[in-house]
Amino acid sequence: MTTITATPITVLAEEAPPPGARRRRRRVRWGTWITLAVISLFGFAPVYWLLATSLTPSDQVFAFPPTLFPKEVTFSHYATVFGNEAIFVYFRNSVIVSVITAVLSVIVSMYMGYAFSKYRFAGRKSLMYFVLSSQMFPQALLLVTLYLVFAQFGLLNTYLALILSFTTFTLPLCVWMLKGFFDALPDDLIEAARIDGAGPWRIFHSIVLPLAAPGLVAAGLFAFVRGWNDFIFALTLAGPDRQTLPPGLVNTFISEASTSWPALMAASLVVSVPVCIAFILLQRFLVGGITAGAVKG
Amino acid sequence: MANDISRRSLLRYSVLGLGGAALLGLAGCSTGVAGAPVTTPGAAEPTDFAFASWSLSEEAAKPTIEAALKSFSSAEGISIDTSAYPYNEYLNQLTLQVRGGQFSGAAQLDVAWLSALAALGKLTDLSAYTGGRGYTDAALGAGTSGGKQLGLPWTIGAIGLIGNAELFDKAGASLTPGTIDEFEDGLRALKGIGVIPYAASTKAAQLKDIVVWMQTFGSPIIEDGKSTIGDDASVEAVEWYKKLYDDGLIAADVDRAAARTLFSQGATALYDDAPVGKSSVVSQSPDATLGDKMTPIARPVLKAGSTPQHVLWGHLVVVVDGEGAGTAADFAQWLTSDPEQSEEYFAALGLPPTTEAALASDTVTANAFVQAFTETVTSTAKSSPLWEYPSYAQMETAIAEQVQAVLIGQKSASDAMKTAGDTITGLI
Repeated sequence: MTTITATPITVLAEEAPPPGARRRRRRVRWGTWITLAVISLFGFAPVYWLLATSLTPSDQVFAFPPTLFPKEVTFSHYATVFGNEAIFVYFRNSVIVSVITAVLSVIVSMYMGYAFSKYRFAGRKSLMYFVLSSQMFPQALLLVTLYLVFAQFGLLNTYLALILSFTTFTLPLCVWMLKGFFDALPDDLIEAARIDGAGPWRIFHSIVLPLAAPGLVAAGLFAFVRGWNDFIFALTLAGPDRQTLPPGLVNTFISEASTSWPALMAASLVVSVPVCIAFILLQRFLVGGITAGAVKG
Repeated sequence: MANDISRRSLLRYSVLGLGGAALLGLAGCSTGVAGAPVTTPGAAEPTDFAFASWSLSEEAAKPTIEAALKSFSSAEGISIDTSAYPYNEYLNQLTLQVRGGQFSGAAQLDVAWLSALAALGKLTDLSAYTGGRGYTDAALGAGTSGGKQLGLPWTIGAIGLIGNAELFDKAGASLTPGTIDEFEDGLRALKGIGVIPYAASTKAAQLKDIVVWMQTFGSPIIEDGKSTIGDDASVEAVEWYKKLYDDGLIAADVDRAAARTLFSQGATALYDDAPVGKSSVVSQSPDATLGDKMTPIARPVLKAGSTPQHVLWGHLVVVVDGEGAGTAADFAQWLTSDPEQSEEYFAALGLPPTTEAALASDTVTANAFVQAFTETVTSTAKSSPLWEYPSYAQMETAIAEQVQAVLIGQKSASDAMKTAGDTITGLI
């Protein structure tokens, strides 16, 4: 008879933390919280100042010493903004040109980015650098040239002039952003689809694009914000009927001798709300899209 | 798959890119043709034309100008196409439109911008439109460039010193300082009551204001086609300014907007401005009576008996040659000199008119501030000698940069002014 002797199992006791470790962890956690709070304060202070100024009566805006909270609160500046019909026209124009710029930029750059990423052709490298170098043109120089070209084609004072000019700026970065994204998609996936009989068109639209959705959203948001914030192109090319918010607000609230700061702040706050909502709704795509392709393998 | 960008490649393509940019720039920057087309009053059959203005985008001025446009267009049976740009962007936008052949018609213009726009060679000579309208000589002078009447004066004033009479009283300072020394004594008295005595420009954006002080010290600024900045008078003026700065009689980081704000809050007793700034100062002040305390002060002189130096300020209406230019010229004349129109414009905005008749009207003479400003400041005002040159803005920047270097102790006044003078001569 064989006797089985049980070998006692030694349970390794969890190593006791060195003295003071908990205190150090707590200190690190507090340090992190304080750092984040300071950074948040730094980020939110301008927004708070915008809000506070928009609620302050005009004759108290420059009161010295300045106060953190308005002594009196008024909504009259918001009434001024909502009572000005022109601002709604600027808003509508901004939405139209920014959305179309975003869509156009994404459509063009997704094909270009894919071609640069997955195809080998003569002059590919040169073309990629050329696209990048177009980002180095000074805006003012491009503006004069675009103005003359658009004038020749009768495009001045049209939405198309704004959309095309905004796209000249958004396209290079969108292309490079999406190229990086497509680089991260494994070639094996495309190869497998090809073996299954899918053609290039089908591969791109049915397999690659759905996987690239976060990148497309990130590129689209970038292009949208670029169009939404542009001042100088919109001022020069849009004419009075197609003017967007940035030049429109300056035209409305900044004059030769004075600036209506509270109303300008109120308008800025109101018109930034849609952009904030778009960012909140799409932020998970944005973060994924921007970081995609950052790590190989 | 991604390709690294080598430094050599980046440099190569950057050079290519910038080369392309330069070519594109040259394509858009061909020089304009000098010379001004001439037109005569009432010669043209009324036609539609365009009108560009920065005031059309400003809440206070818009209704009055729109009413004027409507009145003229109805009377002539035409339509006027308008465009408005913010003041700070206006000249660039108008220049681009005129150069690109996209604009013809009438346009509002700051007096300082006339030579810059005239250099494009598209402005109509309006000499035939000045006779019999009663424009003052000073106002007409503001609209001339290269010996031609390229603009009709819409409102003409000056930039001068404006004081808060209550603070001057409190400090026991004189509201009519005759000489620089008396002026400085007054500033020291004002310092004693705890305000910034003089909100003079110390920020680069407005440091061009020093030019009038250089003239006060005796520098002609431009002589025989060369800059005189760097002479004893200009150096002395800048050294004096530096002394005011070091003694706390003027403050750091002040431009026109900051000066208006400080004045409106009662934090300074004195600043430089044109009459157009009054409404902005009053509107942002917690003191409802500030408007009554604002007093124009003649700029002090170096030696008693000399003429105070002031720089002209105002708006012109110019006509860009092309479709509708004839009717646009008729409109410019009507807008700037029609008695009823001039009075209405003044009543609405407080901008001094440009004809003898309008200046003598009850509406104008009843406005004590403008009357006093016209007598003490505008009466001796002249255009800046730099405005004759299309590159006047670069000249003013060159001066501002050097004066700022002196104020912060980086350079001596003589070295800085010599540099500024050489730069300006180069730009001429």
